[in-house]
Order: sequence, then structure tokens, then C-alpha cells
Amino acid sequence: MRRYEVFLKKDGRDEYRHAGSLDAPNDELALVLARESYLRRAEGDRLWLVDRAHLVTGSPEFVAPNADKPHRHNDGEQIAERRRRIRNLKKNDT
Amino acid sequence: MINSPWNDGIREFVLAIADDEHLMGQQHAEWIGVAPFLEEDLAFCSIGQDELGHAATLYAIVAGSGNPDGVDDRSLDALAFDPDPNRWRSSHLVEIATPGWAHALVRHWLYDTTEQIRWELVADSTLTPLAEAAVRAEREEWFHRRHADSLLDALLASADAGSRIRSALVDLFPLAMGLFVPVEGEAEAVATGVTAAPLNTRLPEWIDQVQQRFVIDSLPNNETAPVDRTTRSDAFEPLLSRMREVLDLDAAAIW
Repeated sequence: MRRYEVFLKKDGRDEYRHAGSLDAPNDELALVLARESYLRRAEGDRLWLVDRAHLVTGSPEFVAPNADKPHRHNDGEQIAERRRRIRNLKKNDT
Repeated sequence: MINSPWNDGIREFVLAIADDEHLMGQQHAEWIGVAPFLEEDLAFCSIGQDELGHAATLYAIVAGSGNPDGVDDRSLDALAFDPDPNRWRSSHLVEIATPGWAHALVRHWLYDTTEQIRWELVADSTLTPLAEAAVRAEREEWFHRRHADSLLDALLASADAGSRIRSALVDLFPLAMGLFVPVEGEAEAVATGVTAAPLNTRLPEWIDQVQQRFVIDSLPNNETAPVDRTTRSDAFEPLLSRMREVLDLDAAAIW
């Protein structure tokens, strides 16, 4: 058995979304079985199946260091604060 | 409904298809929870549901004497759960209890390939609701055949599974031949254009298909002639009582 990740897409501009996974012995049976396991109620009209063996994965150890870089998070608060300060200074000048 | 032909022969003809669909659907559905793996469990039961849907459509045609409009569920149930074995016209292939998955899968293929021919023959039926049912059925049947073929492709490639599949074929082939035994009323169905031709005119082509599918040179000889649909197999009573299990708990209950 191989394990496949199932992605479904509804009509229109929606992106493909992960719906779950399934076991099947080959690609053809994966298609057949995904249709009945994930699309019986017309949950999508397009289907991607990815054999899990073909996924390129990044482990937590590889990804985690980027969790400690607050300077890469710009929520605009500091800029807003700076502009507020300058505006107030100008107001005081007049 | 304008001038759809209807008589006792046509009724027998449609009833035979309906009973086959019903019992095949029931048998497939009994694999829910016990099929070899979860995904197959869902797929097989879903296919069974489709067959039950076809049965309901056909029973409505029978109950409405050719016109299914306005037929209520009780009339369908009266046919579908009729306790009188003499009313049934199912083939023995769909009645028997299979000993395991290999038999269930081979029966699925044998039944659906025969069914394909049977629906083709009524695709232009003068009995309009039957022609409409054929269109509806084929929208689902192509998938049933692809499902059966995909599994057989995978299993026949392995020595162990392949030998189980072929031995199931040897057991089931004579019963599958029973599907082609002329149904009572078929002559009238042909004469009135309800079906295009007797089903057994397509038998040679179907046998070729079986041989190619299972890569088998000689099919089991028919030592005993396949039985017709007016007699019930030993497996029928237990199957019917499984289907009626809830109904029989309380005969007076109103559903």
C-alpha cells in the first residue's frame, strides 16, 4: 500500500485544499478510491493526489530557527508611532 | 407517460432486472465495515448504494405498471421486501453468499459487465422510464466497472491473489451464465421494443470479455444448465431474512 495526500478544489478561484489522506496500492486505485472516500457528496470538482513518498518535507529542526526573529514581523505599529510623533511635533510648531 | 407498452411479460422482464439490482446492492453493502481496507469499504458500499438506487427506480416502474410517477415508497417496499419467495425473479448469482473477498470482487465484475449489456439493450426502450433509467445507470456504471477493473489489474498481477481470483471465477462463472438465461417475458419485451434483443444474443462477446479479463483459456464447462429465475437458491431465504431483519422485529410498526 502507498499513502496519498488528497487535495480538492471547488469550482472558480478557490485554491486546492488539503482534505486528508488515503491508502491505495497504486495511482489508478488511489484515484478510484479517493473519489468515493472524499468526493461522494461533490465536495470538489478537481482532485490532486500526491504520493507521500514524493513529498519534499522540512523537519521542525530545519524550520524552527526562524521562529525567533521578531524583527521580521512588521505589523506597522512602529512606523505608525513614528508618524504620529512627527505629526504632533509639526502641530506644536504652528 | 404516452403509450408506454405494458403487460405481464414486460412486468416480469423489468422485475427480473430490479431484483438483480436490489440483491446485488444488498450483497455489496454487507461489506461495510469488513472490506479489506477502509477506502475499499467505502467504495464498495457506495457502489452497492448505486445499485439499490437503480433497483428503486425499476421497482417504481413495476409498481406503477410502466409509469413510475406518483408511486409511493410503500409500494416499492412491498416489492423490495416481499416475504413470498415465489414473487422473486433474481438470478442465483446475486443470491449466493460469497465465501470471501475474491468471490465478492469477481461477482462485482461479472455482474457489472453483464449489466452493461443489459442497460445498452434498453437504452432506446419504448418503455420511456426504462430508457431514462438506463441513462441514469450508465452515469454510475462506468465507474463501477473501472473500480472492478482497477482492483483486478492489481490483484491478477500477483501470483497468490491471482490464483484466488481465478478460483473464484471457476466457482462463479456457471452462476453468471444464469444471468443470460432468457427471462420469462423477454420475448414480449423484445416484440414490443422494450428491449432491443434477447440478452443471450450478446453472450459470445461477453464470454470473450471474461476470457481476456481473467487471462484464462478455458472457462468451466457447464455441467449443469444454469437455472432460470423462477426457482430460488438455498441462499435466498437467509438473504431475505437479513434484509427483513428490522421489519420482522415488529410487523405492526408504522414506518
